[in-house]
Amino acid sequence: MNPEFIKTICPYCGTGCGLILKVENGTVVGTYPDGKHPVSHGTLCIKGWSAHEFIHHADRLKTPLIRKGDRFEEISWSEAISLAAERLKAIAERYGGDAVGGLCSAKCTNEENYLFQKLMRMAFRTNNVDHCARLCHAPTAAGMAQTTGSGAMTNSISDLAGAECVLIIGSNAAESHPIIMGEIYRASDRGAQIIVVDPRRTMVAENAGIHLRINPGTDIPLLCGMMEHIINAGLHNTAFIQERMENFEELKNFLQSWPVEKAAGECGIDEGEIRKVAEIYAKAKDAAIVYCMGITQHACGTANVHAICDLAMLCGHIGKTYSGVYPLRGQNNVQGSCDVGGLPNVYPGYQSVSDPAVQEKFQKAWGRELSAKPGLTVTEMIGTAGKDIRALYIMAENPALSDPDVNHVLKSLSKLDFLIVQDIFLTETAKFAHLVLPAACFAEKTGTYTNTERRFQLLRKVVDPPGEAKGDFDILCLLAKALGLDFSYNHPGEVMEEIAWLVPAYGGVRFNRLELAGLQWPCPDPGHPGTRFLHEHQFTRGRGLFIVPQYTPPYEKPDEEFPYYLNTGRMFAHYHTGTMTRRSPFLNRELEEPYAEINPEDALRTDIREGDRIRITSRRGSIVTAARITERVARGCIFAPFHFTEARANTLTNPVLDPISKIPEFKVCAVRMEKEPYEEQKR
Amino acid sequence: MLDKLKEIVISLLKEKKTDGALGLRKGKWDIVQPHVFSDPDQVEALVVEPKWLLAKMAMSILRSSPEGYRLAVISRSCDERALTELVKRNQIEKDGLLTIGIACSAQQASACLCQRPYPEKLDAGEPVAGVDPFQDETIRELLVGEGPARMEKWAKLLKRCIKCYGCRNSCPICVCVPCKLEDEVWVETGVIPAEMIAYHLIRAFHLSDTCVACKACQEACPVNIPLLALQLSMRDALQKTYGYEAGLDAEKRSPILYDLIKEPGEGHVLPDWVNTLEKK
Repeated sequence: MNPEFIKTICPYCGTGCGLILKVENGTVVGTYPDGKHPVSHGTLCIKGWSAHEFIHHADRLKTPLIRKGDRFEEISWSEAISLAAERLKAIAERYGGDAVGGLCSAKCTNEENYLFQKLMRMAFRTNNVDHCARLCHAPTAAGMAQTTGSGAMTNSISDLAGAECVLIIGSNAAESHPIIMGEIYRASDRGAQIIVVDPRRTMVAENAGIHLRINPGTDIPLLCGMMEHIINAGLHNTAFIQERMENFEELKNFLQSWPVEKAAGECGIDEGEIRKVAEIYAKAKDAAIVYCMGITQHACGTANVHAICDLAMLCGHIGKTYSGVYPLRGQNNVQGSCDVGGLPNVYPGYQSVSDPAVQEKFQKAWGRELSAKPGLTVTEMIGTAGKDIRALYIMAENPALSDPDVNHVLKSLSKLDFLIVQDIFLTETAKFAHLVLPAACFAEKTGTYTNTERRFQLLRKVVDPPGEAKGDFDILCLLAKALGLDFSYNHPGEVMEEIAWLVPAYGGVRFNRLELAGLQWPCPDPGHPGTRFLHEHQFTRGRGLFIVPQYTPPYEKPDEEFPYYLNTGRMFAHYHTGTMTRRSPFLNRELEEPYAEINPEDALRTDIREGDRIRITSRRGSIVTAARITERVARGCIFAPFHFTEARANTLTNPVLDPISKIPEFKVCAVRMEKEPYEEQKR
Repeated sequence: MLDKLKEIVISLLKEKKTDGALGLRKGKWDIVQPHVFSDPDQVEALVVEPKWLLAKMAMSILRSSPEGYRLAVISRSCDERALTELVKRNQIEKDGLLTIGIACSAQQASACLCQRPYPEKLDAGEPVAGVDPFQDETIRELLVGEGPARMEKWAKLLKRCIKCYGCRNSCPICVCVPCKLEDEVWVETGVIPAEMIAYHLIRAFHLSDTCVACKACQEACPVNIPLLALQLSMRDALQKTYGYEAGLDAEKRSPILYDLIKEPGEGHVLPDWVNTLEKK
């Protein structure tokens, strides 16, 4: 009768705020902030406050479903698991293990992701395991690993408050990572300079000291121009470069090709501003670079990350408290799902699949022969569906909205011989599935999430899953058994122990050490307190590496046929593909219908008024959405959030990939825009 | 203080003077959560830290409990003031509610800029002196001095608002259903920042005569807007003009709710400017 209050972690973004869920009679009825949480300190954003709203929604999947023609029919778990195992085995036998692929989930726990990749690797002898990190911070994982040896946020979120200069590039943290924005405001209140680089005048830009409104996709010219000036003005940290870095000469020579005048021309920023900003950053005692999708979601995303690391290392603003490089991870557990091996080229702990010693270690640990061939990425798996990939097992991911060039994605999904989708709702992707497995949400299971500051945090089970839905941990163990694997884990804590055994950096992580405040990796042994910031005495790879950034301007620039730049991204009230937030009344109340931001001058010229239905078309497809006229977007640019299934921004986006990290160029493509005819306008 | 408090709660439960006691419980792994203690044996785990306003929770528990349910609430001064206001505004039935008052430490008082860090009904703990918020540097910058300069400061701070509704959600007095801040006529949906006038000033004025200065709003704000300061001027004005302070008196009602000329009852003294009006 009396309510219970249970501490857990928010399921939305990578900040990983603490939540307290109020439970009455087996129902979660409210969310409170956790006053003692080391990251959120008793605060939450609008999504966090609404985290409980979707849990008991009527649309929750309650039984396994099998597709018969156009309809789904309920089947039992034993039938579902047998079917899955049979079909997957049959396809692997007929076409080889590499014809099977799996998408694990940045929304699921570390333990579940670990079991997923273990299952795929052992049962099918394939490394075709990937997930949505490919679409967001793959350049961070790749690029930062190359420069520093470690592809993760170098410092802790709370360190931001101590920086004297915070350079925010391609991040709308005020809407996407609000609690982290709070730390940046704390820095600002203490006198720090906040500099924002973004083609859009976001809320972050409006609240900053300086906003550099660069042309879309010109981050490398800007950063190179800044570095060139810093070196010429003698503001680089020569001692740091000498003691801690490699390859400075190559970078220095390269930067001569980016004099500030050239950079200014390319990015559309005044020379004086570039010099000013460079000097503020270089001269600050402690300076932080915060970045997000605006840097990574380009065909030169990895190179963008290289440029950012180069800037930080040039000035010695890395490897100490407050200073560092802060990539803001998107999903609640995208850091974790990468950490525990949900990637096609590495095992848990970023140990390479093609390294014979590593392969030996995992073969011995798991007791099976494993493949040394790196697997396919998300975009490649979907791209070759029906040809190289015949079966796909998708755990809690929604490529029908989140992948680029959605029309192609939908065609590909329908070519699969067998598609399993395991999720909490019947998503647009699940509608293509041959088999749907009902899973548990964050409040219905235990396990760990790793937030963007490398903090393992413990989830607590608050209520039971609806109907016959099961935790992904349970589903994976059942499926593994049906595939002949011995996954006899009694509890996710045992999985964490196995992960800790196999990954030296997580060696000291155990559930019972996470109860109060979590632990930040590296945490190599059970006595270790966790690590607040990285690269203090040396970089993870030894010396830091300057890498010359390989700039490619946007692949699709505006032309006569498609005269606007399209930018895509997030907005504050909804989250990613909207499966959870669009079933939350308080969030839906904020915004129920899709929109696209149009510049007032463009609107005037094309006779579009606020709320008009407009059609936006790219070389790949067309959507109809509502016009929101705002000066946030520059003239000639359009912004569309990707949360809305009725107007999927990704129907328009360009699937051209970054050569190193294979991330699609979500942030820039060319579109045209027209007002819909009178009959189509809602009056 | 904690031991004495535990004794009081245990004896209330044992003597069946209350059905439940709402407070904080320290559970496994030292995790602290609100809890309704109904069994004297559970009281060992009672704690009083951290500061956690329970008034709204008490209201919702009483509303969802069967008729005649009695709840004791372990209250700091702010909780007691909030509960007093909720009773005065007919949100809680006085009969089912009992407060067990605890005093705050000097450190807590200074962190909250609390003018009276001990409840009227004090049952455990030693009272310490209150703090005058108008002596605080940050408060003075925002509330004392030239208008235009202060307006600029406020506008800059309020422009950060991410519309989390945390201030409204955590405020013990914000219980209106429907809430004006959810009325699209006033507060535009789907855009941030939430506007200074439409959101923040509406809230500030709706609470002008009932805010108990508990600072829960400011503590819930992820972007450090000094929301407590937004209320202090009005509290000060009510104090100076009508001698009224929200939450202090269980009988005296807000002067703003009454036409003091026609019905100067409810314990109020008419301010002297009223007579000058009548002369006209």
